[in-house]
Amino acid sequence: MNLLRYFDSWATAELVLTALAAGACVVVMCSLLSVLVVLKRLAFIGQGVSHSAFGGIGVAAVIGAATGAAWAGQGGVVEFGVVVTFCIGAALGMASVGTAGGAGRSRPIEVDTGIGLFLVASMALGGLLVEAARALAQRLGHPVGARSWESILFGSILTAGWGDVLVAFGLLVLTVGVAWLARRPLLFWAFDETCAPAFGVPGTLMRTVLMVLLALATVTATKLAGVVLASALLVLPGATALKLSRRLWSVLALSVAVGVGGLVVGLAVSLQADLQPGPCIVLAMVAAFVAAGFWNRLGSGAAPPRSETA
Amino acid sequence: MGTEAVQFEQVTYRYPGAPSPALEGVTLSVLPGERLGVLGPNGGGKSTLLKLALGLLPVQQGRIGVFGLTPAEARGRGLIGYVAQRIDAELGFPLSVRQVVELAAGWRTPPWRRLGGQARARVDRALELTGASALADRPIGSLSGGQTQRAMIARALATDAKVLVLDEPLVGIDAAGQQQFAELLATVHRATGVTILIVSHDLRAIAAGCDRVACLARRLHSHVSPQGLTPRVLAELFSHDVAGLAGVGGLAGVHVHAHGPDEPCPEHGPTPGPVGLTVRGRGTAGGGTP
Repeated sequence: MNLLRYFDSWATAELVLTALAAGACVVVMCSLLSVLVVLKRLAFIGQGVSHSAFGGIGVAAVIGAATGAAWAGQGGVVEFGVVVTFCIGAALGMASVGTAGGAGRSRPIEVDTGIGLFLVASMALGGLLVEAARALAQRLGHPVGARSWESILFGSILTAGWGDVLVAFGLLVLTVGVAWLARRPLLFWAFDETCAPAFGVPGTLMRTVLMVLLALATVTATKLAGVVLASALLVLPGATALKLSRRLWSVLALSVAVGVGGLVVGLAVSLQADLQPGPCIVLAMVAAFVAAGFWNRLGSGAAPPRSETA
Repeated sequence: MGTEAVQFEQVTYRYPGAPSPALEGVTLSVLPGERLGVLGPNGGGKSTLLKLALGLLPVQQGRIGVFGLTPAEARGRGLIGYVAQRIDAELGFPLSVRQVVELAAGWRTPPWRRLGGQARARVDRALELTGASALADRPIGSLSGGQTQRAMIARALATDAKVLVLDEPLVGIDAAGQQQFAELLATVHRATGVTILIVSHDLRAIAAGCDRVACLARRLHSHVSPQGLTPRVLAELFSHDVAGLAGVGGLAGVHVHAHGPDEPCPEHGPTPGPVGLTVRGRGTAGGGTP
C-alpha cells in the first residue's frame, strides 16, 4: 500500500499516528539512555534485560490464559507489571554479578557468563510458558491471550493504541525526570565508578537508578522493536552520536535526533513496502551509524579517543 | 587526639573469605599539613589502608579518625580528595576537563539550581593550582597521561579537601613526568597547606615529595627485629618485590629505623605500634631530623 493512502481515512491515519506517538516516546527515552549504555559498555546487559522480557511475557500469558480476563492477557496491566518486574529484577541481578568482585574479591561467575545464562534461561522459560499458555487457554475454553511469536520477537508498534501512547509518555516523563534530578551524581558515578564513592557519591544507588531506568526503557522498547531488537534502540543512537561529537549536550541532542529519525524513516519504509516496522526502524538506525562512521573517517567528526596508554 | 589529620589505631582488616588479614594492628598518624608516604610491596595492604581511610571499607577492628571524624563523616563533608591508582574513569565520556572538575565540586548542588559561585571559584582555583586552566575546555579524553593526572588532582582539590590521597601516582609516568608531578605536588602543598598521603611501592617516587615515609607490609611486624634494621634488611623483607624497592639501598640520605610493638619511636616520639617502621627521608623539604 502506498504510504500516503494511510491518510485517506482516519482509521488508518490513526494507526500511523499512534505508532508514531508511542514510538517517539520510546525512542526518546532509549536514545537518552543509550549514551550511558554505550559509554558504560552496558550493551550486553541491555540485551540480557530485553530478553528477560520474554520470560515475563510467558508468565503473564499463563496468568492470562488461566484467568481468561482481558486485563490479564496480551497488552494488559498484568502483563506490563510482570514484564517490568522481570526486567528490573534481571537488570539488578546482572548488575550485582558485575560488582560482586569488588570488595569481597569472590566473583561467583564472570559477568558475560552470568548475562548469557540469564538471557537464554529467560528465553527458554518464556518460550515454554507461551506454548503452555496457549494449551491452557484452549483446555479452559478461554480466548488465547498469548502474543504471536512475531510480535514478541520483532515488536508490534502498529497495534499500539492511545492507551499505549499514554503509558509510553508517562514512562518517558518519569525517565527524563529521574535522570534530570540525578544528573550530577549519576554522571559523576558513570564517568568514574571507582572514584565517585570516595567523593561521597552513593554508587550503589546510582547503579540501581540506572538499571531501573534501563529496564523500564527496555520494556517499552520491546513493544516497538520486540525482544530481539529492543536493545538496538539502547545502543545505536548513543553510539552514532558519540561518533559525531564529544560535547555532552550535543551528544544527547544528536542521539535523540538519530532515534527519532530512525523511527520516522523506518516506519515510513515499513508502511510503504509493507514490511515489519521493528526491523525497518532498527536498520534505519544502523544506516545512520554507518554514515556517522564514514563522516568520522572523513575527519569532520569527533576527535578520535586518546590511545590507551594509562 | 583529634588534632591528627589521619589517625589509625590498632587497625586490623581481613577481606571476607581471605585466609589472613590484609592489615594487622596498624597504628599510624598523619599531622595536618604533613606529607606522608606509605611504602610497601604489592599486596602489602597499602590500598586497603587507603580504602579504610576513605571509608570505602568498614572498620573491623581498631579506630580510624580523619580530623576527629569517622572516615564516612569526613567523606560526607568532602574533606578527602582522592586520586586513584590508575585512571579507571571512562575517558571516552563527552565531558570537558572543567565539567569533570565541576562534578566533584558541585554534585551535591540541588538539581534545580545552577552550580553556586563558591563551587565555581573552587573549580577555577583547583584548575589554576594544577596548571590545568588552559586545558579546561578540552574533552577529558583528548589529554595525555600526565595532563589527565593534573585534571584528576584538580578534581580532588575542587571539593575543598583537607587531605589529598594519592594511590600509586607515578605508575606509568616517565622520569620527566615524575619530576613535573613532584613540582606540582609541592606547588599545591605550598598554596593550600593540604595534608598529603601518598601510597606507593616505589620509594624514589615517595621520597621526592614526602616529609615522612611509613613502611607497610601485612606481615612486617612479625619479621622486624627492633634494632639493626638497615636498608639491606629492608630490601630482604620486601624480597618478593625487590624491583619496586631498588631505590632503598642507593637512595642518599634515607635513614631507616625501627622499633618494636608498643615501644615509642626513638625519632618521632610516642607513636608506638606493631608496624613501627619508619623511614625518614633526610634532605627532603620539611624532613629535617633533630
